[in-house]
Amino acid sequence: MLGLPLAFSAPLVLFGLLALPVIWWLLRLTPPRPQAEIFPPLKILARVMKREETPSKSPWWLTILRLAIAGFIILALADPILNPRENSISTEGPLLIVMDNGWATAADWDDRAAVASQLITEAEEREIPVSLVFTADASHDANPRSAAQALERLQAASALPQHGDRARALAAVADALGDATPGTLVILSDGVTSDAEETDRLSQQLGATDAASVLLFEDGPDAVALVDAENGADAFVVEAERPVGAGAVSYSFNAHDIQGRAIAEGSIDFADGETTGTGSIRAPFELRNDFARFAIPGIRSAGSAYLLDDSFRRRRVALLSGASADLAQPLLAPLYYIERALEPFADIVRPRDPELSVAIPELIETNPSVIVMADIGTLPDDVYGPLTEWVEDGGLLLRFAGPRLAGADENDPLIPVTLRQGERALGGALSWTEPQNLAPYPDQGPFAGMPPPENIVVNRQVLAQPSPELSANTWASLEDGTPLVTTRQIGEGRTVLFHVTAEATWSNLPISGDFVEMLRRTVMLSSAGGQPAGGSAGEAASLPPYRLLDAAGQLVAPSGEARPLVLSNEAPTVSPENPPGLYGTEDGFIALNLMDGRDALEPVAWPDAVSATRTGYGTDNAVSLRPHLFTAAMILLLVDSAIVLFMAGFARRLRIGSPALGRTAAGMVAIFAVSLALTPDASAQTDDTRAGDDVILEQLNTTRIGYVLTGEDEVDRISERGLAGLAEFLAYRTSLEPGAPAGLDIETDQLAFFPLIYWPVSATAPMPSAQAISRIDAYMKAGGTVLFDTRDQFSGLGNAASPETDRLRAIMADLDIPPLEPVPEDHVLTKAFYLLPDFPGRYRGGEMWIEQLPQAGETRTMTSADGVTSVIITGNDLAGAWAIDTNGVPIYPTVPADPAQREFAYRTGVNIMMYMLTGNYKTDQVHVPALLERLGQ
Amino acid sequence: MAALGKTVQPTSSSEALSRARQRAALVPDCLVEARRVSNSVIAGWHGRRRRGIGENFWQFRPYAPGESLSRIDWRRSARDDHTYLRDREWEAAHTLWLWADASASMMFKSDLGQVSKESRALVVVLALAEILSRSGERIAYPGAMEPVAARNAAERLAGALVLAPPSTALPDLTRITARNDIVVVSDFLDPPEDVLAMLAPLAKRGIRGHVLEVCDPVEEIFPYAGRTEFVDPETGGKLTLGRAETAGEEYRNAYLARREVLGGALRRLGWSFTTHRTDRPASEALVALHMHLSGMPATTLARAG
Repeated sequence: MLGLPLAFSAPLVLFGLLALPVIWWLLRLTPPRPQAEIFPPLKILARVMKREETPSKSPWWLTILRLAIAGFIILALADPILNPRENSISTEGPLLIVMDNGWATAADWDDRAAVASQLITEAEEREIPVSLVFTADASHDANPRSAAQALERLQAASALPQHGDRARALAAVADALGDATPGTLVILSDGVTSDAEETDRLSQQLGATDAASVLLFEDGPDAVALVDAENGADAFVVEAERPVGAGAVSYSFNAHDIQGRAIAEGSIDFADGETTGTGSIRAPFELRNDFARFAIPGIRSAGSAYLLDDSFRRRRVALLSGASADLAQPLLAPLYYIERALEPFADIVRPRDPELSVAIPELIETNPSVIVMADIGTLPDDVYGPLTEWVEDGGLLLRFAGPRLAGADENDPLIPVTLRQGERALGGALSWTEPQNLAPYPDQGPFAGMPPPENIVVNRQVLAQPSPELSANTWASLEDGTPLVTTRQIGEGRTVLFHVTAEATWSNLPISGDFVEMLRRTVMLSSAGGQPAGGSAGEAASLPPYRLLDAAGQLVAPSGEARPLVLSNEAPTVSPENPPGLYGTEDGFIALNLMDGRDALEPVAWPDAVSATRTGYGTDNAVSLRPHLFTAAMILLLVDSAIVLFMAGFARRLRIGSPALGRTAAGMVAIFAVSLALTPDASAQTDDTRAGDDVILEQLNTTRIGYVLTGEDEVDRISERGLAGLAEFLAYRTSLEPGAPAGLDIETDQLAFFPLIYWPVSATAPMPSAQAISRIDAYMKAGGTVLFDTRDQFSGLGNAASPETDRLRAIMADLDIPPLEPVPEDHVLTKAFYLLPDFPGRYRGGEMWIEQLPQAGETRTMTSADGVTSVIITGNDLAGAWAIDTNGVPIYPTVPADPAQREFAYRTGVNIMMYMLTGNYKTDQVHVPALLERLGQ
Repeated sequence: MAALGKTVQPTSSSEALSRARQRAALVPDCLVEARRVSNSVIAGWHGRRRRGIGENFWQFRPYAPGESLSRIDWRRSARDDHTYLRDREWEAAHTLWLWADASASMMFKSDLGQVSKESRALVVVLALAEILSRSGERIAYPGAMEPVAARNAAERLAGALVLAPPSTALPDLTRITARNDIVVVSDFLDPPEDVLAMLAPLAKRGIRGHVLEVCDPVEEIFPYAGRTEFVDPETGGKLTLGRAETAGEEYRNAYLARREVLGGALRRLGWSFTTHRTDRPASEALVALHMHLSGMPATTLARAG
């Protein structure tokens, strides 16, 4: 239409535009409705107004405005669409959608889903059933369903870290359709395949289809996948593939450790026209060993991630020993320490045959990275050949000295340095020399950077013949300079000799931590081994999924669909049951990658025979103008309303009638605008109050003394009245005005708000539960104080403990309480507010016990709550002395009945409360004279 | 936007009964309001300001021979050598006719006014009845109540108004005799010639008249603007103004000119003319009327309204 890419869904509605002239005529005729006013002095007014002014016509611009509103509405009803999709679906049969959801679709899945959703919506409008299959799904349900169900399935679907199988999906569609006539076949392709033969199958299937039309959506094949990674001698080499050899491109890629942190960075370069690119990360092998995953940042796809597993780190280590293993004394077996040291990071292989000439070829057969020989002096002649060959191919031969080696032929080619015959003994009855310590590790060699060895003593060793290259071949030496670990490059491999035994007879090196580290570093030098030779595995092992790669290339926790990976002789492949990821456990896992080195990415060659309409994803940007037109009409309508209001004199009337009204209206408009602007913020202020907050606030507002509800009414009443009396005394005498006493159910109530909890111990009350006691314990540890009152000062006869004391002991048995002592004479409790010689309650004479203070000379450690004791124990029945009735008259007489004793009881309470609230402030006061003196006053 | 003014009662004259009921419902409220208003005015009533039969002391005057000895005030005469008589102030009962317009144009109240014109007119009339009856005057209402001298004349007038048929025009006034006073409360929106033609015969008969014009604020200040259709509540006539604000000035001039003509003519007849707006308290109108009734110097008050 007019050269614009514009189409109308309901073009017939456009005939409504013909009505515009009529509307124009009507609008011209109809003036705006006047404001009706009752006006008694109309006669006077009529006399004044000679002519009756009635504008029969609206202003022309108002008419045009209204015509525009009408025009917009008619246009909107016609539903114009900008950039309409040319090819719509056929209505002859069900809509068949074959949608790729393999790894290459993850990055732009939303666009693809949008296209599919658009198609399904279109089908819904035309009431066509939809058959929707995803190529990477495990099973394809291609039965045509209603469009709404298809839409639900589409929303539930997502890209999978799998290879799609289009042929299978197409076959499923054909099966499900049976003889029914297919409508439009839509293929939403990712344009990438790793299967060279797929094209043939596709052309076969697409040629057989009798769909009314075929729509093919395909995006530019810009996928890139990491297909291989190899830990080389000094660098990790990563290989990547792209389907089309376009221009030279460079991707940066990161190496992540197992926690997902990027720890190294490299770049993959594709040469112009090449489909394969390589990149490498040069890094120390320790760092490389931490690599767990390569990923190309910015490309969210499982193909752009490559997982590494233990096969890059774990070496197969074959162990050989000259001594027949004496299993009765494993600690003296030469291989025991090596095995223990290597087990965490190496696979140990042992020979089945003790005969070396049989065992060594057999071990070489398993393709080990390292062969460890503990005290093997002379090898059979026929073994030298294969062993030397293996070393030259990159094997690492690690040998340990021993009596046999010391007596062996000095020209053994597989010993790094020429050895002197016999061994050297350091120390001992007939020697002047002392056992030697290990010298700090040299800066060169694999041991560089290890902390200097401590307490490693070598009593005995084999000695190397001095030679010019000896120092260069030495990895570690003793303090006197004699080499302890020597090495020599042989071909691509290496042989390493420890000049001590592998067990603790010659030195304590094997039982030191350095030994493990030295072995680890040595083994890491070796090249990683290949696959184990087949046949050794008896039964097929299976590994549970540990971490799986999601479609975006991230490692996630395994989902329910993943099955354990069954290890067989064939290399495992990615399947819906075995999505790419790490299989095994945290300690050891193998990586299953989406791509392996054999895969090559190719663009899908859709058969030319199929007359498909090809479209990309991005080009489909049909925009319905309907909402915009309605919005415009609505805005114009608002403008029209404003104009009519203005013409009716609304604004002027406001002004004349009441200036305040006008200001109010303006203010309301301003408030409305501001509130609109602030609405998101306002809604962001969520209400964070919780149930019980008011109670907490109420308890925080006033200081309250708590008491434990024992469950015995009389005891609780005395506690309540006693603390009320104390509170009254405190308010009268001090600046502290406590709130009403709080009875606490220690099983449930929050205790943290109370500086002091009074606990009258009653032998007849129910024993608190273990949980309650642990809460009390936590309360005391957090700085609270519990005042236990056994109230039994005069009840006990003789030394027998009263029942209350027994109960107290039972309670305290579960509490973590430091040592206690009677209140010392100079304790702050004796002077916190009043000077008190003792602490009477209803009874006098009982000791008050508190936590033991740090003894003189003992450094006072930082303690919680300023060192205030967390427990006070008395037997004097303080609450009984404090208790007053509602008239303020004491309830119980003191024993003996002495008003002064009650006063002192109250003072005891005051001191305790002051001690609770001010801590050791009063003891610090004793330093005031010294401080003043120091200030020179 | 709501209209500024509205009729407070339906203007259809065919529903006379229901309208009477509504009016009757209005009367008690007006009576209460009238009581309240009159309490603030009651103190201002003075007698006839002349010697005559009455209860209140008026003056001492020297005894003239021939006068009744019994009128000699011996207490005053004993003070000096002359003989005095005690004169009392004349307090003859007077008949006052009150009338409030109840035509449809009075049933109007705008947002700017406090009450409708009719309500205000009723309040003023009832308040006057209350005040005057307390001071012993005879109160009458043409067409509703014959002259009565009673302390509760206001209630009786209210009762009579409740029962009386609503009158739109001035009723038969021939029964009003000379030396009577009449208080007319209306909006006088008819042409002043018509009003004068109705009132001038009364003045000629020697009746003193007091005219109170009650108007709504919108009638005086004409705050209309924009396209407005004006409706006459009495005739139902309509007038549409495209831009009402342009007519404001001319209208105000015409309105005030009418008032001037009416007021001037009435004053020439010796009557008082007072205007009152419903956005002012009723007591203002009452005080002004009361001043005129109680014979305050016409020169000071006549122009005050």
